[in-house]
Amino acid sequence: MEAGGDTAAPAPGDAEDLEDTRSPSEEAGDSGGVHEEPPDPREEGLEETGSEIKDQPPGLQSPLPQLEAPSCTCRLWDPAASENSPLDDPESGSGGQGGDPSDEDWRSKRKHVFVLSEAGKPIYSRYGSVEALSTTMGVMTALVSFVQSAGDAIRAIYAEDHKLVFLQQGPLLLVAVSRTPQSVAQLRGELLAVHAQIVSTLTRASVARIFARKQNYDLRRLLAGSERTLDRLLDSVEQDPGALLLGAVRCVPLARPLRDALGSLLRRCTAPGLALSVLAVGGQLVTAAQERNVLAECRLDPADLQLLLNWVGAPAFAAGEAWAPVCLPRFNPDGFFYAYVARLDATPVCLLLLSTDPEAFHDMATCRRLVEDGMHTLGAMRALGEAVSFSKAPSAIALAYSVQAVGASGLRHFLYKPLDIPDHHRQLPQFTSPELEAPYSREEERQRLSDLYHRLHARLHSTSRPLRLIYHVGEKETLLAWVTSKFELYTCLSPLVTKAGAILVVTKLLRWVKKEEDRLFIRYPPKYSTPPAVPAASMDQASHNGLFPGP
Amino acid sequence: MRKPDGKIVLLGDMNVGKTSLLQRYMERRFPDTVSTVGGAFYLKQWRSFNISIWDTAGREQFHGLGSMYCRGATAIILTYDVNHPQSLVELEDRFLGLTDTASTDCLFAIVGNKVDLSEEGAVESREKDGCSPRLAAGSYMSPKGPKQVQLEDAVALYKKILKYKMLDEKDVPAAEQMCFETSAKTGHNVDLLFETLFDMVVPMILRQRAQGPPQTVDISSYKPPRRTKSGCCA
Repeated sequence: MEAGGDTAAPAPGDAEDLEDTRSPSEEAGDSGGVHEEPPDPREEGLEETGSEIKDQPPGLQSPLPQLEAPSCTCRLWDPAASENSPLDDPESGSGGQGGDPSDEDWRSKRKHVFVLSEAGKPIYSRYGSVEALSTTMGVMTALVSFVQSAGDAIRAIYAEDHKLVFLQQGPLLLVAVSRTPQSVAQLRGELLAVHAQIVSTLTRASVARIFARKQNYDLRRLLAGSERTLDRLLDSVEQDPGALLLGAVRCVPLARPLRDALGSLLRRCTAPGLALSVLAVGGQLVTAAQERNVLAECRLDPADLQLLLNWVGAPAFAAGEAWAPVCLPRFNPDGFFYAYVARLDATPVCLLLLSTDPEAFHDMATCRRLVEDGMHTLGAMRALGEAVSFSKAPSAIALAYSVQAVGASGLRHFLYKPLDIPDHHRQLPQFTSPELEAPYSREEERQRLSDLYHRLHARLHSTSRPLRLIYHVGEKETLLAWVTSKFELYTCLSPLVTKAGAILVVTKLLRWVKKEEDRLFIRYPPKYSTPPAVPAASMDQASHNGLFPGP
Repeated sequence: MRKPDGKIVLLGDMNVGKTSLLQRYMERRFPDTVSTVGGAFYLKQWRSFNISIWDTAGREQFHGLGSMYCRGATAIILTYDVNHPQSLVELEDRFLGLTDTASTDCLFAIVGNKVDLSEEGAVESREKDGCSPRLAAGSYMSPKGPKQVQLEDAVALYKKILKYKMLDEKDVPAAEQMCFETSAKTGHNVDLLFETLFDMVVPMILRQRAQGPPQTVDISSYKPPRRTKSGCCA
C-alpha cells in the first residue's frame, strides 16, 4: 500500500525548463509532468526542514496520525530519545556523529538508511549511533506492524519533501528516509543493495536462523566492520552515480588485446575449487573468468559482481592476503564462497579468487603467484598503470579518462550504458563515464549532479509514463537523457549550450563511444576456464592443508 | 616462491587490536585500522626461516574458518584488551576451542593490548578514533582509568590453557615469559612479543623438520576423489 498521497512539492516558481524534444508518440505531450519536478535541493530547503522539525512538540505520537497526515513525518525524529547518551559507537563505524535524533546535524542529512530487526532492534544506521536511535526505530516498527495488522504491507510514505521507503526482507526491515529527488523505485533499489551486502556477510539462511532462535538478537555483533562497506556503498550513490543507478559495472578502459590476454591468463591460472577469478582496480572491472563446473548453468549475476567489486574495495583488504567467506546473494543467498583477495605487487590492482573450499587458501595463493608472473610477462602492470592513475588513494575511485578525450566542447560529464553488446549485455551490463571534473569536484556539486541524473533516470523509467528523451535546462547546467534500443545515455552539458548545439555534442559523443567501444567495454563474453586435469600447480602448498580439498 | 616454515596465529575478541599489533610490528606504524574481514596472511622472514602470520577477524561468523586458520600452528597469540575484562573471558570461552587443530606442541602467548589507555600514556586521539570499544561512560571521560585486567589474570589463564592442553608446566615456557602487556599505539613491548615468539618458534621448526612432516598427507601420491556435485557449499 502506498500510504499518503503523492504530495511531492510542486515546484514553486522554479526556473525548471523540462521538455522533450524528439520524443515519439505519447510522450510528446508530457508537459503535464514537468511541474511535478521538485526544485533543486537548495540551501533554503535545508533550513526550512530544520525549522519545521524544531516546531514539533515533544512526545511520542501514535503511528496512526502520521499515516493520515504524512506531512507530520518529521516527528519521527523525536526528541524523546535525547536522553540516550550519544556515546560514540566505534563498532557502528558511523564516525563522530552523535546520532541523537534531536541533533540538528543529524537531522539535516539528506538521506538516512536504517536497518532493523523485526523486533525493532537497530542494526545499522547510515548516520549517528544506532543506540541513540532506538526510539526512532521503534516508531518505524510500529508503522510497519500497524499496516501489517491490516494484512497489508507498507511500501512508502510521501511526506512533503521526504520520501520514506520500507523494505521487508525476511526478519530484516530496511528503511530509507530521503530528501533527495530519488524515486521510490531507486531508493528501493538502494535498500536491496544494502540487504544484499548484509546477506553477503552472513547469508540469508543464517540471518533467518539467528532470528528464529532468538528474536531479540543483536545482529550488530555479527556485522561489526561491515558498516563501512555499507557506508561506502551508499556514498557511491551520491558521489559517483552510475553503478547502482544503471545496474551495471564500470570497466577499466583498456586496449582490447591486453584485456583479452588478461582474460586468457585468468582462465589459464586455475586451481581445484576455483569458481571465479576477477581482476579489478578501484571498484572497476578489468576482466573476469568463470569456471565451467561451478558456474555453468548460472552465470554470475551483475549485481553480485558489483557487490564483490564494492566489497574488495574495503580498506581491510589493503594489506596482506585475505581469506574470508562471502555469499553471493543472487547466485545462492544461503551458501558461502571463500574469497581470496590480494593486491598484486602492492598496487591497487586487486585479484579476487572465489573458491568453494574453505581450506583452499594456499591453492589460491599459488594461483595468485601464477597470475602475477603472467602479468609481468605480459607487461600488464605497466599498461594498467597507464590506464589508471595509481597516484590516487586506493579508496578513491580512480577513473581512467577525462571528458576532454571526447573532444566535444560543452560536454561536462556523461553516463553511457550500451544495450547492444552482442549476446552479452544480459550477462554483464556495463557502463562508462569520465572522471568528474570541475565544476563537479566538490562534494555538494557531485551530489547535485547525482540528483539530476537520478531525476532524469526516474523520468525515463517511470512506470506510468516512460520517456525516451529529456532535454533539461537548469540554472547551472543543461542535461540531455536519451534511451534507445542501443544505449542509455545521460549527458551533462554547459548551461549555455543551445538545443542544436547539444544535439551536435551528443552526436559527437556517440561517434566517439562507437570508435572506442572495444576499449571502454568488454565486448565479447570471456569464455569459461576449464578445470585442470591434474592439480599440478598446488602440490607443495596443498600439503599445508592436510587433506586435499573435496568439493 | 617462499614457503612458510612456521605458522603464528593471532586470536582474540574483536577490537582488541590484533591487526594493529601486527601492523605495528610489520610496518612500524599505527594506522587507523578497519575491521579485518576474514583472515589476513603475512609472511615474515626471520633469520633463514619464513614465518607466516595469520591475523584473524574476531567475529563470530568467521569461526567456521577458525580451525583452518589454526591448523598446524606453531604458536598462537591470544589477545585481549586490558581495559575490557570481558575480552579475556572470551579468550577462554570462545577462542581456546579453536586451537584444537594447532600442532600438539603449540606455544601460547597471552597479550594484553592497549595499555596506553590505562597507564600514563596519551589517550585523547585514541578515543576520538573510536578504537576503544565498550568502555563504560565513566572511564571514557577520565584519561587514566585504572587497568581493568591485571597481568596475574593473564598468567592464570595461561595456566588454565596448559591444563586444557594437558601440558606440563615444566615442558613449556614459563607463564611469566609468555604473558605480555603491549600497546600497539606506542609500540610498547610489541617487538619483544613477536621476536620472543619467533626465537621460540625456530627450534620448533627445526625439530619438526627432523621428525618429518607430521599430520599431513602427501598429496603427490594421493588421487583426489572425483567431484560429484558442483555449486558452492552451503
